[in-house]
Amino acid sequence: MTLTISNISKTYPNGVQALKNVTLTIPNGMYGLLGPNGAGKSTLMRMLATLQEPDPSPAGQPGSGILLFASGGSSASARTIDVLKEKDEVRKTLGYLPQEFGVYPKAKAEDLLDHFAILKGFSNRKSRQEVVDALLKKTNLWHVRRQRLGGYSGGMRQRFGVAVALLGSPKLLIVDEPTAGLDPAERVRFLNLLSELGESSVVLLSTHIVEDVSELCSRMAIINKGEILLETQPLTAIRDLRGKIWRLIIDRSSLSRIESNHRVISTKLFAGQTVVRVFSPENPGNGFEVAEPDLEDVYFATMAGHISSRPGQMI
Amino acid sequence: MKLREIFRFEFMYQIRQVWTWLFFAALLVFSFLMTRDGSLAEALHDDFFVNSPFAIAKTTIAGNLIWLLITAVIAGEAASRDVATRMHPLVYTAPISRLQYLGGRFLATLALNALMLLVVQIGIILGVYLPGMDPEVIGPFRPAAFLTAFAFLSLPNAFIATALQFTIASGAGRPMAAYLGSMILFFMSYILGLILLFNGRQDLANILDPVGVHFILSELSHLWTTTEKNYRLLTLDGIVLTNRMLWSGVAIVFMFIGYFRFQFRHRVLADLGDQLLKMMRIRKGPIHDAELAIIPTDAATRIAAEAEPAFSLSSELRKTGAIAWSSFASSATSWAGIAMLVVIPLMCIPVIIDQMESNGVPLLPTTVQVLTEITTALSSETSRWVIIPLLMIFFAGEVVWKEREAGLGEITDAMPGSEWSVLLGKFFGLTFILIAYLSLTICAGIAAQAILGYDYFEIGLYLTTMFGLQLPEYLLFTLLALAIHVVVNQKYIGHLLAVIAYVMIALAPMFGLEHNLLIFGAGPAWSYTDMRGFGNSVMPWLWFKLYWTAWCLLIAIAAYLLWVRGKETNFSVRLRAGRNRLKGVTRVMCVIAVTLVLSLGAFIFYNTNILNDYQTDGDIKAMRARYEILYGKYAAMDQPRLYGTKLNIDIHPSIAQARIKGVYTLLNKGREPIDTIAISPAHGVQTKVSFSQMSTALVSDDELGFYIYKLEQPLHVNDSIHLMFDVSVEQRGFRENGLDNSIVENGSQFNAANWCPSIGYQRSGELMEVADRREYNLTPRPIIPSLYDSQAIGKYSGGIRFEAIVSTEQEETAVAPGLLHKQWSDNGRSYFHYIADAPIGGEWSIFSAQYATRNSHWYDSAQNRSVAIQIFHHPPHTANLERMTTSINASLAYYTKEFGPYKHGHLTLVEHPGNGTGMHADASMISFSEGFSLWVPSKEGSRSLDLPYAITSHEMAHQWTLPYASVEGAPVMSESLAWYYGLKAVQHSRGESELHRLLGFMRQPYPYPPIRRGEPLLRGLDPYLSYRRGPFALYTLSEYAGDEKVNEALKNLLAKHRIENTPLATTLDLYNELKTVTPDTLQSLLHDLFQVNTYWELRTKRMSVSKTGSRRWRVMLDIEAEKVVDDSTGVETTIPMRDFVEIGIYGEDGNVLYLKKHLVNSGEQQLTIHVNEKPLRARIDPRHLLIDINPDDNIVDAASLQQE
Repeated sequence: MTLTISNISKTYPNGVQALKNVTLTIPNGMYGLLGPNGAGKSTLMRMLATLQEPDPSPAGQPGSGILLFASGGSSASARTIDVLKEKDEVRKTLGYLPQEFGVYPKAKAEDLLDHFAILKGFSNRKSRQEVVDALLKKTNLWHVRRQRLGGYSGGMRQRFGVAVALLGSPKLLIVDEPTAGLDPAERVRFLNLLSELGESSVVLLSTHIVEDVSELCSRMAIINKGEILLETQPLTAIRDLRGKIWRLIIDRSSLSRIESNHRVISTKLFAGQTVVRVFSPENPGNGFEVAEPDLEDVYFATMAGHISSRPGQMI
Repeated sequence: MKLREIFRFEFMYQIRQVWTWLFFAALLVFSFLMTRDGSLAEALHDDFFVNSPFAIAKTTIAGNLIWLLITAVIAGEAASRDVATRMHPLVYTAPISRLQYLGGRFLATLALNALMLLVVQIGIILGVYLPGMDPEVIGPFRPAAFLTAFAFLSLPNAFIATALQFTIASGAGRPMAAYLGSMILFFMSYILGLILLFNGRQDLANILDPVGVHFILSELSHLWTTTEKNYRLLTLDGIVLTNRMLWSGVAIVFMFIGYFRFQFRHRVLADLGDQLLKMMRIRKGPIHDAELAIIPTDAATRIAAEAEPAFSLSSELRKTGAIAWSSFASSATSWAGIAMLVVIPLMCIPVIIDQMESNGVPLLPTTVQVLTEITTALSSETSRWVIIPLLMIFFAGEVVWKEREAGLGEITDAMPGSEWSVLLGKFFGLTFILIAYLSLTICAGIAAQAILGYDYFEIGLYLTTMFGLQLPEYLLFTLLALAIHVVVNQKYIGHLLAVIAYVMIALAPMFGLEHNLLIFGAGPAWSYTDMRGFGNSVMPWLWFKLYWTAWCLLIAIAAYLLWVRGKETNFSVRLRAGRNRLKGVTRVMCVIAVTLVLSLGAFIFYNTNILNDYQTDGDIKAMRARYEILYGKYAAMDQPRLYGTKLNIDIHPSIAQARIKGVYTLLNKGREPIDTIAISPAHGVQTKVSFSQMSTALVSDDELGFYIYKLEQPLHVNDSIHLMFDVSVEQRGFRENGLDNSIVENGSQFNAANWCPSIGYQRSGELMEVADRREYNLTPRPIIPSLYDSQAIGKYSGGIRFEAIVSTEQEETAVAPGLLHKQWSDNGRSYFHYIADAPIGGEWSIFSAQYATRNSHWYDSAQNRSVAIQIFHHPPHTANLERMTTSINASLAYYTKEFGPYKHGHLTLVEHPGNGTGMHADASMISFSEGFSLWVPSKEGSRSLDLPYAITSHEMAHQWTLPYASVEGAPVMSESLAWYYGLKAVQHSRGESELHRLLGFMRQPYPYPPIRRGEPLLRGLDPYLSYRRGPFALYTLSEYAGDEKVNEALKNLLAKHRIENTPLATTLDLYNELKTVTPDTLQSLLHDLFQVNTYWELRTKRMSVSKTGSRRWRVMLDIEAEKVVDDSTGVETTIPMRDFVEIGIYGEDGNVLYLKKHLVNSGEQQLTIHVNEKPLRARIDPRHLLIDINPDDNIVDAASLQQE
């Protein structure tokens, strides 16, 4: 199962260009889409979830499109789905957890999940019951399945959303910022749940939290202002940065001087002092010490334009 | 300051919304059209100005009702936007007070609503003053007329509605909940009001109506004279003031409730069930999340979770079912669902029980009677069931937005499956609601029948009617409402457009739509009666419904194509998506739907407009105008008189055809020989005519139906000639309004005279209304000539000699006026030969059905002959046969003794299909609707009125009807006299107390509410004057002067006018006869009763009693009296009074101790009366002989007894 996105652009009626010529290839496994608020993540996710249309590709330009190559175990199930045209084919194998969703507050979890199972195509009562029960157990909602959703906490609600998304064992799972607003324990539980699925499906996870990606994803892309800035594997990216990240503990007051002389990618407060991290292929001197890079450095360096997977933009 | 800012922000926020402007536009257009159409039609009919205060008030009320139905969301938004958008934590924590917050929001809403209602006034002004209005109907411009309507009607309405909507929406936290407030007010003013009105509780309706439908529209409509309607300004007093005060008070109470219930607090979801548990002090445990647990990943869970869903037709169907069920469940458990599925069916029970009566007399609650209460055509805007389509609009919006409002839209949209299953699922969900509603209504009907002790439940008829006929009526509109919400994709605008669509259906003629092919969901009405069943009414109904179903298919496809799935709401993107969806089955369905619309439409058009003549109102008016312009000059041409007629009528009920071959005997009773005869054949039938001598056609106009023949030999004075004619009556296809049901199996009924040709130019074929005549440059003609127009008073023709041989299908019996002379069968048909033994009038009613008959005789001792009385009735309808027979016998006895002989040796009573309770009299024949047979008055001897008996007596009295002139006062001559006869017949056969029950019934305001001002009785045309005031006046005179005097006058009058060639009688002749018999002392009373509109204002102020002897008491009565005369323009003058008035003193158990007439003068006065028993109360004019506006103050209880 592979998802390829080629030359996708999206301009909203108010003129905002949410996506600019996005091209990505997403293989089986967990894939992280990292970017700040308003980067175009959700737009892209909704497009993959068949809910939004890209701009029509201009004449003379290479064809845009989103294709899902299903290479199942048997050759019979191997086929290509055009996500933009064969929406219903996509939907049959899609699991989608939107960034924001609500529930019918008066409905019970079990009933609503059963309802969604029918919508998803489970018409046989017995197998549907099994699926619903299994998912309620899996998302740890079994003991509250008879409660009304209106009384659920944020995390429980989010897990309910996962249960819905997992109906019918999707081959393409789109989860849009699922960890925002979850407490640390809930977040761990949630990520565990997702990691289990990455084995046989494409799981696309959008987030602005770097740890989500570093903990889960074997591949990732960084997106900002509608453009894919970097498409890489977290480990490779971190390795590539080794020796290029330098840190210095300074006073707040000297920050502006440092900023004007160095390529600062992040500043953090630590025990009342400011820790500055800069990007520099060579030793910048001035007391900077080399730092062990992490994915956050990859992210900030990319956002600052110091690294890119685009040809000709590598500095 | 903060309040001002909250006000400003709210006002500016809402005024920038698209829907706010659409509301403005809708109200402007509606009030404009209403002024142009509604008020104009009224103005032209009644001849008052379109900008008269009354017309403005009417349109204002109509605009207010529409405003109520469409704009609730303004208050809803202001009251609950913060909660609905979850912004309330930001607002609630700001340093503002409840008063500032709620006050600012409320005032902003009120200002917006007032502005919207101001637009109604602007719409009226534009309607009046933009070009296109006939200048003749525009009166002087009076700003006060608009201002009073706005200030006294619109402003209080805005306040009341805003308070209710705001409070409800703020409590619910959902803007749409504001519609509940609108629905309640709409229900109170329109639906409850209608129910009360039909019960004769206009007074209660006036109070309970929060909008003004009743206290303005129905109250002023009949209270104000035409002059007042033109000039009188609306004032804030009387019922208007009471009503406005009451409802403003209710609104203030609501505001207080809203204010005190509102808290700046986090909202916790609690539904009815939770609140119930809370009340029962049962505490539900909090929901605990699981401990941080290891996700179970046992094999079984994994395998089950990975089971593959199946994608097939059956899974799509299952999906449709699931959506249908969840749509139904969420709608049914909402407040609107509870209203529709619990409140309305429960309310149905008392309403049905209440309606199972006509004029206060119980009706047998047959299933047909119940069904007439619970079924309605969609387009019937005066039905109490308008609430159902309005609720369906609301439900349609709710189910379309269900997922998106819950925030589940993205998840469900990304689920596999066709948009069809979602769309159809929602439609079926709404269908389930309707099915549940109709089932519950049936239960309510059956419950009502059971409570009334009736147990013949025709379940089959219930099911056929409710699910076969009523459900499709609602479903078509429901689909339209659903499609509108889908296509518009904005809830408030969708709601607005759906309500507009409904208004356009209900008031189609106002929008220029007349043909049922153009009015969504419309079609001819079906009907059902015990006698003829559905007759031929269902077939055309079905064709039209099929046609609209085809349209609905097309509409459903459009909704499917434009269904929003995902985030793309841009219309061009939706169109593109729609184009992609238009393939496969959908494309085929589209072709089928278009084909069906075109072919069914063409078929219906062929039937209604090609096989039949389809005429709009305009076409008919143009024809009438041309008829008058071309042939009006022949109106004065001398024509022979119709002396006698012989008809051969063949009725073919099973094929809805009839053939009438007839011969007229025409007699020249003029002064000159006649050589040209004009003939106007009936419209809609084929007529061939020939004379018994050679003739040539001079004028032969097939289109307008006018012919003039020149006779070879002139017809000399007192000579006669025969006119032979052959009329074919048949239906080709069906008409736009369905099939004529004159000729149907087991229930044919028609007036043969309407199908036979008429002699001479027919004035009844002319245009009547002033404005129509003006449009065609015709001089205005009065609807009826003046009483003082001696030219208009013709001479009595002596009636028509009538004979008919009527044949019908074997198993049916045909009935015609006259005595059944002979009856035979031939060639599988039954023949009946009827001969009237004395001349009859111009109505020749013919019936054919499977009748049972009941024969009896009454011996006429004066003429020494026996009168054959024959009742033809539907075999099961036997309940009132005995009662009718008794009444007929009593009437014949009393009338022949008092007023003169009965003219015939036969009398026929015949039942005909129809659910009304009406009875109708022709010469020697009385016909009645089936409903009359369902009347079940309480047993004789009980204290309730036997109305069928009284009505039979009244109709019998028509057998003594004078030949009266068709001038002002004509209805008084006919109906008032017949009711006076009826009163006297009841008094003599059933006694004094039954007479008083009948008088009590007649004094009720329903069905003829009293009119205070207007024409005096002598010129009376109104039903109130002819059916009520006339009989009262004659009865009062008979009580003052003695009934022998009044009867003598009436007998003399009849004797003078029953002679051929004497001038026809008018109310002046009646008045003169009464004058002759009335003693001098009562001449002024006679004048007061007939010549002017007189009212007595009588009052008993104080009654003091003292004991003067062992069995002797002295009563001192303080009374007050005044006499007022109202003229036809509404001017009221007090005139000095010096009249005899009855004074009654009553003792224990209401025993009459004293009842005598006293001479009473204007002003206060004291009377001293001695009685022999202990007096308890006193009453002036206890028998209501004089017309008193407020009779309640006539009675007074004795003050404490003084000993002497």
